[in-house]
Amino acid sequence: METPEQTVMERLEHGSAPPPDAEVPAAHTFEVKNVSIWYGEKLAIDNVTLDVAANAVTAIIGPSGCGKSTFLRALNRMHELTPKTRMEGTVLLNGEDLYSSTVDPAIVRRRVGMVFQKSNPFPTMTIGENVVIGLRLNGVRNQRFLNERLEKSLRMAALWDEVKDDLHKPGTSLSGGQQQRLCIARALAVEPEVILMDEPCSALDPIATAKIEELIYQLKARYTIVTVTHNMQQAGRVSDYTAFFYLGRLIEYGPTTKIFTNPGEKQTEDYITGRFG
Amino acid sequence: MVVPKHILGTFDDALTSLRKDLLMMAGLAERSLDRAIKGLLQRDDDLCTHAIADDEEIDQLEKQIDKDGFEILLRYQPVASDLRRVISAIKLSPNIERVGDQATNIAKRARKLNRHPPLPEVQMIVPIQAHAMSMFKDSINAFARENVELAHSVCSRDKQLDDMNRDANRKLTELMMEDREQLRGYFNLILISRALERVGDHATNIAEDAVYAAAAEDIRHKSLAASV
Ligand SMILES: Nc1ncnc2c1ncn2[C@@H]1O[C@H](COP(=O)(O)OP(=O)(O)O)[C@@H](O)[C@H]1O
Ligand SMILES: [Mg+2]
Repeated sequence: METPEQTVMERLEHGSAPPPDAEVPAAHTFEVKNVSIWYGEKLAIDNVTLDVAANAVTAIIGPSGCGKSTFLRALNRMHELTPKTRMEGTVLLNGEDLYSSTVDPAIVRRRVGMVFQKSNPFPTMTIGENVVIGLRLNGVRNQRFLNERLEKSLRMAALWDEVKDDLHKPGTSLSGGQQQRLCIARALAVEPEVILMDEPCSALDPIATAKIEELIYQLKARYTIVTVTHNMQQAGRVSDYTAFFYLGRLIEYGPTTKIFTNPGEKQTEDYITGRFG
Repeated sequence: MVVPKHILGTFDDALTSLRKDLLMMAGLAERSLDRAIKGLLQRDDDLCTHAIADDEEIDQLEKQIDKDGFEILLRYQPVASDLRRVISAIKLSPNIERVGDQATNIAKRARKLNRHPPLPEVQMIVPIQAHAMSMFKDSINAFARENVELAHSVCSRDKQLDDMNRDANRKLTELMMEDREQLRGYFNLILISRALERVGDHATNIAEDAVYAAAAEDIRHKSLAASV
């Protein structure tokens, strides 16, 4: 005998409507136009065009090896430190061409700070020295200025209260999550315009991760943040915009809520929902 | 469109079972409504009793869908189409449950009417039930097939059902005035017509959620938003 469920099932066939297009953000910190990057013969970034919204968090997601780190490093010319890299296209930072021959890559890296997956305080330095090393390397000697910047950076990195009495201890005496916030403080100390983060939480436990996420949320009032993450829920929680990369190409870019509730591209949908593509 | 399977097989199983329960629930509500109407038109108390019995199973399924839907949200943290499907299942099931309640309501009134000589005015219910039933079936189809066009058509048919109910109500009220003997009978027919009008409201809710499930578009209160 037919069940009621079967009577409904019988009438079914598949079909779905094309979803509406993504919206585009307004004010941009970066304008990336037709950027391609090669490692030797290998094309790692394939003609990517994308505008990064100002004072917002943009998450870059995609499977391992899709070019997330390479793309991120192109935003502060860090990829140039790798031998045999070649790049085409333009990257504008607040309207200025980052790759113009008159621009000093060291200045670019000061304007665009970077935080890595494995936080790495310099092992021979104290907590305090770790924070201001960037300023010292830039020739700042005024101790009062350094002390002020030290406290300000640690406060912004939500670490001050935890370390204010231990500034002379080695940076490596801190927990993993504290070390990561120390590296964020180090990036903030040179007063960058942008903070790039490459999987900043992937080595951290949930509590330390939540603290970094809260920090990201606090920081976006002052900074533009671009973060690479493997954690889909994290991208959903912290970011305003999400860019999905696949095989070196930008597949889809739009407001995070849109990407995570109704992505426009099937490849995005398959990736974020964890389906076989 | 062929939807590829999830890498995590248990997630697929959980979503499939949620969908099966929802379609089962819809099928039962459909059957219950159909039996209640037939019980009325064919003056068959057994069908009415069956219609009422179906409702208990529908209630159980509503609880099951709630429980399973929340568990999927908790365990798998679905996104994109998965998220929309779970949310719409949780929102759909109370509407289906209310259609079941209306079927029970109709079946109980039909049993009362069946104790008295037949009223020819029962025929007024025929087009109303056909309209309500087709809206309900189409709303479920629209959800299951993710057919946005069909869902929109359900919503646009609701006004006609309201008009049919209002006409029936007016005519039956007039008859009540003229023939006090049949007052109870006409009154029950008025309430049956109203129950069917409610079925149309639930079908409209279901169709709106079907559009959301398919395309994440919120079409509720469109006219209201447009007038602001
Ligand atoms: N230094 C390098 N030399 C050669 N190929 C590299 C180098 N770094 C990355 N790649 C290649 O470029 C592609 C993109 O790498 P990457 O940007 O690290 O991806 P993701 O961060 O998304 O995992 C990969 O295929 C990777 O193997
Ligand atoms: Mg990487």
